[in-house]
Amino acid sequence: MSKPIPTASGAKPDVGHMEEYQANQPAFLKRIRNECGELAEYNLMGQPHVLMSGPDAQEAWCRAPDEVLGQSAAYKGVVPIFGKGVLFDTSLERLKQQLKIQVDALRYQNMKAYAQVIADEVRDFTNNWGESGELEMVDEFLRMTLYTSTSCLLGVDFRRNMTDEFSELYRDLEHAVIAIAFIDPYLPLPEFEARDKARARLGEIVEDIVAKRRASNEEFHDALNTFMTSKYTDGSTLSPHEITGLLIATMFAGHHTSSGTATWTLIEFLRNPQFMEEVKQELAEVFADGGDVSHHAMRGMPKMEAFIREVLRVHPPLSTLIRVVEQDFDYKGTIIPKGYRVVMSPGVAHKIAEVFPDPEKFDMHRPEPEHLFAWVAFGGGRHKCAGNAFAILQLKAIFATLLLDFDFSLTSAADEYMDDHSGMTVKPKAPMTVRFKRKKK
Amino acid sequence: MRIKVDLDLCQGHSVCMEECPEVFVVRDQPGGYPQVVVLMEQPSEDLREKVMNAARGCPNRVITIEE
Repeated sequence: MSKPIPTASGAKPDVGHMEEYQANQPAFLKRIRNECGELAEYNLMGQPHVLMSGPDAQEAWCRAPDEVLGQSAAYKGVVPIFGKGVLFDTSLERLKQQLKIQVDALRYQNMKAYAQVIADEVRDFTNNWGESGELEMVDEFLRMTLYTSTSCLLGVDFRRNMTDEFSELYRDLEHAVIAIAFIDPYLPLPEFEARDKARARLGEIVEDIVAKRRASNEEFHDALNTFMTSKYTDGSTLSPHEITGLLIATMFAGHHTSSGTATWTLIEFLRNPQFMEEVKQELAEVFADGGDVSHHAMRGMPKMEAFIREVLRVHPPLSTLIRVVEQDFDYKGTIIPKGYRVVMSPGVAHKIAEVFPDPEKFDMHRPEPEHLFAWVAFGGGRHKCAGNAFAILQLKAIFATLLLDFDFSLTSAADEYMDDHSGMTVKPKAPMTVRFKRKKK
Repeated sequence: MRIKVDLDLCQGHSVCMEECPEVFVVRDQPGGYPQVVVLMEQPSEDLREKVMNAARGCPNRVITIEE
């Protein structure tokens, strides 16, 4: 006999918990975790969901095979953005092969080239800032990370010649990620029409680059090169349409997540000056030998890394990760039935007081929890964010450069910098303005 | 020391192979991520530091070392 799933109070007829969920998702999830424990059933517009929280439940969620907890249904809304036949719109077999090719672009061998590219981009970007002034960092970091990711994915050449057209097309894709897209992404809406046009045009642009590269003998070290040269197990190569889809998917996965984390990293440095001093001290020691940013971002800076990991604990960029139950799923004797959605929430996971004492306090010296699935900013298991090493590398390169070259200060009270929970994802609430002053050489 | 790897977690990032190729190699697997293969489960003490660097450098914490 299966034990019943503990159910959250407060459901209303038809809509279930939707109103409370939409009003404040993090507060709702925290409430039902406190009320129900590791498993908490809730209902959104008739669709039953189960929040799995606590290290053991999070581990079970992460380790479940694709055949039991599937990803595809949860990604319905992005299928037209990535393209037909790409990733979650393919068979499980094909999906696995495409994910493998995507990860190949993020392996250690490519990372060395990326470290240099990112360090150069950040220097170029901040060279335009001038000597001193005020900057709105949400937007600055969104642009900075669009440039770094374009350079790493499509190559430095493409990035140097990048036009406004590309940024606009990318924005049209982003604007189609709205709640209704996850119910029916093919409705006749202006957002979806703009999305389909943008996707087609991006396909043309990428096809053009691919053709030029195939005709030249030049060597490239970027993700596009990996996608162009990779093969499926049957020996066939990716079509330009599939290459474009993987590029978009990789960019989508890494752009807002990285730029939001960069914004919070800067704000937390300024809220916690004693920790910033420690990290600056480390930078002074590390760079005393005259080595370059890319080298040290790859290999060192443990204090910087500990600081960034604490930022990701307090401000995980994805608040919930969703799977669809494809076969009845047994967790410690409780069966979660086929058709349910199961949710892991880094936002909930990182604020559990038994795992992270005094969880609201920012502390870069917090010991790493013993349980591998307690800190889940990148998810975990087979589908852990494959860009996790890239993300940390990029943040280290950005902040090594920023802290070496500039002094920053807040322009508003420290507690006025907040998250925005109103959209599909959590993001820092603009404006987040800081004052900067270039250091004297 | 004895080396253990948790293949549920391995996505073939290959840091281990870079840090300690004597012990770790990442091989393509049919229809999925490439994964680590441990060449020596009980490597000699002179490899300890390299093995530790591999375990520490792994972005997915796949490698554990038992004494």
